Amino acid sequence: MGSKTEALAKQFEKVFDDLELVIGWETGFDSLHATPAFIRQPSALGRLIWNPFCSHNLSGYLTKTLNATAQEDAKKIGICVKGCDSRSVVALIQEKFISRERLYIAGIPCRGTVDLRRLMRLKPSLKDVNTVHIEGNELAVETARQTHRFPLQDVLLRKCLQCRYPNPVLYDELIGEPLTPRVTEGQAPPFVDKLEAHSLEQRRVFWERELDRCIRCYACRNACPLCVCQDNCILESRMPKWLSQRSGMSEKFFFHMIHAVHLAGRCTECGECERVCPMEIPVALMKEKLNQVVKELLDYEAGLNPETQPPLLTFDPSETGI
Amino acid sequence: MRIGVFVCRCGTNIANTVDTEAVANKALEYPDVTHATDYMYTCSEPGQQEIQQAIKEHALQGIVVAACSPRMHEATFRRAVEKAGLNRYMFEQANIREHCSWISSDIEANTRKAMDLVRMSVEKLRFNQPLFSSYVPINKRVLVIGGGVAGIQAALDCAEGGLDVVMVERESTIGGKMAKLDKTFPTIDCSSCILGPKMVDVAQNDNIHLYAYSEIDSVSGYIGNFKVGIRKKATYVDWDACTGCGLCTEKCPAKKCYDRFNEGLGTTTAINIPFPQAIPKKACIDADYCRYFTKGKCKVCQKLCPTSAIRFEMEDEIVTEEVGAIVVATGYDLFDDSVYGEYGGGHYPDVISAMQYERLLSAAGPTGGHIRRPSDGKAPKDIVWLSCIGSRDASVGRPYCSGICCMYIAKQATMTRDHLPDCNCYVSYMDIRAPGKNYDEFVRRAQEEYGVQYFRGRVGKIYPKGDRLIVQGADTLLGIQIEIEADLVVLATGIEPSDGARGLAEKLRISYDDYGFYMESHPKLRPVETNTAGVYLSGVCQGPKDIPASVGQGSAAAAKVQALFSRDTIETDPQVANVKEIACIGCGKCIDVCPFGAIQWKTLRDGSQKAQVLETVCQGCGLCNATCPPKAIQLQHCTDDQILAEVNALCG
Amino acid sequence: MKSEAASTPEQELRIVGFLCNWCSYGGADTAGICRFKQPTDLRIIRIPCTGRMDPLFAVKALIYGADGVLVSGCHPKDCHYAVGNYYARRRMEVLKRFLPFIGIDTGRFRYSWVSASEGQLWQQVVKEFSEQIHRLGANPGLHEKIDVEASLFLF
Repeated sequence: MGSKTEALAKQFEKVFDDLELVIGWETGFDSLHATPAFIRQPSALGRLIWNPFCSHNLSGYLTKTLNATAQEDAKKIGICVKGCDSRSVVALIQEKFISRERLYIAGIPCRGTVDLRRLMRLKPSLKDVNTVHIEGNELAVETARQTHRFPLQDVLLRKCLQCRYPNPVLYDELIGEPLTPRVTEGQAPPFVDKLEAHSLEQRRVFWERELDRCIRCYACRNACPLCVCQDNCILESRMPKWLSQRSGMSEKFFFHMIHAVHLAGRCTECGECERVCPMEIPVALMKEKLNQVVKELLDYEAGLNPETQPPLLTFDPSETGI
Repeated sequence: MRIGVFVCRCGTNIANTVDTEAVANKALEYPDVTHATDYMYTCSEPGQQEIQQAIKEHALQGIVVAACSPRMHEATFRRAVEKAGLNRYMFEQANIREHCSWISSDIEANTRKAMDLVRMSVEKLRFNQPLFSSYVPINKRVLVIGGGVAGIQAALDCAEGGLDVVMVERESTIGGKMAKLDKTFPTIDCSSCILGPKMVDVAQNDNIHLYAYSEIDSVSGYIGNFKVGIRKKATYVDWDACTGCGLCTEKCPAKKCYDRFNEGLGTTTAINIPFPQAIPKKACIDADYCRYFTKGKCKVCQKLCPTSAIRFEMEDEIVTEEVGAIVVATGYDLFDDSVYGEYGGGHYPDVISAMQYERLLSAAGPTGGHIRRPSDGKAPKDIVWLSCIGSRDASVGRPYCSGICCMYIAKQATMTRDHLPDCNCYVSYMDIRAPGKNYDEFVRRAQEEYGVQYFRGRVGKIYPKGDRLIVQGADTLLGIQIEIEADLVVLATGIEPSDGARGLAEKLRISYDDYGFYMESHPKLRPVETNTAGVYLSGVCQGPKDIPASVGQGSAAAAKVQALFSRDTIETDPQVANVKEIACIGCGKCIDVCPFGAIQWKTLRDGSQKAQVLETVCQGCGLCNATCPPKAIQLQHCTDDQILAEVNALCG
Repeated sequence: MKSEAASTPEQELRIVGFLCNWCSYGGADTAGICRFKQPTDLRIIRIPCTGRMDPLFAVKALIYGADGVLVSGCHPKDCHYAVGNYYARRRMEVLKRFLPFIGIDTGRFRYSWVSASEGQLWQQVVKEFSEQIHRLGANPGLHEKIDVEASLFLF
């Protein structure tokens, strides 16, 4: 493999004169871990990688560490996006946090990225990986000694198992051929359905059990590309004081509700909140449900069209039935 | 904070079903409450004094009054605490009457509820901040929308008081519906004789600037400082040059144009002046009929006009006027009688509406004041009036009474008997509504002196027989079927809000009822005010009424404007949104959602963009507050902390 | 500190109302003036407009033990601020449909449109909603201690 990796570097090489930097992925502290890369010299483009470990949504950096708004004489920012990541970019453009003109987007059709925790549970001894790629329905991990194969079902991130947008919705250059979605549009989110099969009481208990582990580290919020308030988040604000420091179930519950409600009609389902959760709480699930509600009620999906306004920030007098 | 709680017994209104003493005692347990008592009538003079005294005696910093609805007495108590030296916003009112003592007789439950309500108010008060108004100058000009009699009256009264008036009328002349009437009930005054001089006054008054053939395009701003965009529709005639000589209307070859002023009886020319007394008396081209506009050539008027006033290239123009108050007097339209297919309105030429009949009676009308039926020009021998066409009929969506029809039927029938003594006049009615001064006497005179034959009942259908019409119905008093052979049938069409009333309401941000009549601020006590400060109502746009009532309301609206303008500044309500810049992330969502355009960008010295509230424009709805993700924008006096304090008082 | 209602007999439940000042709060006043009898569980918080209503106020109340939350404002088209309730109805409906997902009965949350003149309608809304909350019973609330055995393993 590696053809896409090479194509990525080549593509950025071509346009680097117009770029301030490139945000992509590179190999992290070991071969199992990819990590975000910020490349400011064309000579360093060789560090870029693309493989199923590149799960990070890099779009958050456009607002959180960089300022990707339109600025005079500023060079563009090159960024690598998967399908899901591209929706976050679109959502940020929609809400005018970043400017399309400032971006050079390399879109990568993606078959799914790996949930390292699941992989390591299956094969704790896994190390010294040479290459990793997806072959059909399997993840092939080639180590120095042998090639391990894992069914995708068992190792992909939860969001990838229900991915409807493997292809970037916005890009300047597409790296590779478009793919067929794993889940087609109109299909209910399978994990939402799974929980909804249970009674109200069981659902509450489910969340109590999951959220009981929450340590309120706010990693989910920090990773969320659409949590745009950053240092001014109301979770930590004293005036107004929405949430106390008490560490009870109610506070944990309310904290996650605040996060979810703030993302209603905005969440692009990149799954970063869940991926970064140190307690493995399926926090993205709440947002998936909200997205389903918004889709049913207002026929809207976030991060698809840079021109539209998120539905809870606008209105339609002719609406009936609500 | 040192908080004082005053629980009002309201005589027995509250005390009968709430243990006010227990509520006051309980209040002493709440945080920061240092003084609590109950009192017979807290709103009374001694009641207010008790509060003021307690403020001094106990050094109170905030007051909670548990009494009636704050919608009733909040202003009263705010004044009272202000007199005692507190900021008026250091006050909260718990509604233990309308929301508690009056809606349940369970004393225990009510007392518990009252305690909760007081607790919520106390908890909220702990987050209250002193707020201060600012003062903005009033632009002492008034806009009157609509040049019917109600608008004319309002404009004249304001102008006489020395105010600058801008009047906007969408037709090419003022006068409204009244200008079309022949006579007025119950005095049989000549309509144009009493309205005409007022119209001339409007034209001649230097304080009134009239925009005829114009409509409201946009409205922004707020009381004291509205900015109004007025669309001057293209008349294709330069009115500065036009002298109203009428030469063009004589020579215009397009002579078969619909005559709006005469309700389609007869025709007019494409360039026309609606009627001889029109104000302004200027010609206007109807582009739908003009041969130049429809066929590309003609321009006869342009060749003839002695002052070269014709401008075929004219386009709509938007002008902006700045005013401090707005009087809305948009009047009404008449119900479309063709909805009642069984009567054949619009189908049989001799079934006409009452306004058409009015034009037949008018000496300036198409028949020169002679009653001639439209089909063959013969003088009718039998005429039937049908009342309640589009009034008091839920099946056509008009359940309300139009209020004027009974009276104008009596007037028209009386006048008919005067004009044509041999003509038999029949009136089919549901009930006769004649509650005004000399009104019932007038109807009786029609019946008794003029021999107009009234029968109570609804007409079932009308169909032609030869060149006459058969009117079939029932006399419900006698319980018999009735059949009248008539030459002419007059449908007494009811009132509906004028076309476009809703669109205008949305521009003005005033509300309207199910039918499109504008909502007054209070049906009894604030009948000419709206819920939008600085916008007043006059005439039928608020609901059906006759000429005297419309004129009365015109004067009332003018009086309200005068009262407003008697001050030089208005005090702004400080309960508006406020941005904590350090927390603002500059996302602009508040700017997107604000219904009033009250939030704008502000660039800080570091180049960052923050939201900034224009406090005079902000109406205090709090939509921005609910929308702001980091809650950097807070609605003063209804902040998140204040609402959360009330929620926390109840839950958790 | 617990609210008064917490220490009362079981039959009284905690319903929090968020009413817009111009319409529904006035409607509740009208109902009072007309002496239309209503259940006593409701406690009303006055807000200027339903547009002021952050769905999180309702969530907060429900998570912290309210048995029901009622939001009421002007009829669509009649908003004193022109459009506040158009925003509100979207936000409230999304919330209403979401609540069951986290185990809160959708019947515990209602939004309605009642004008200042509709005292009778207000009485009906309060009666119906209070009865509904009584049928649902007290909010089971959240458990601080989790019984892992009884809980549901999904993933």
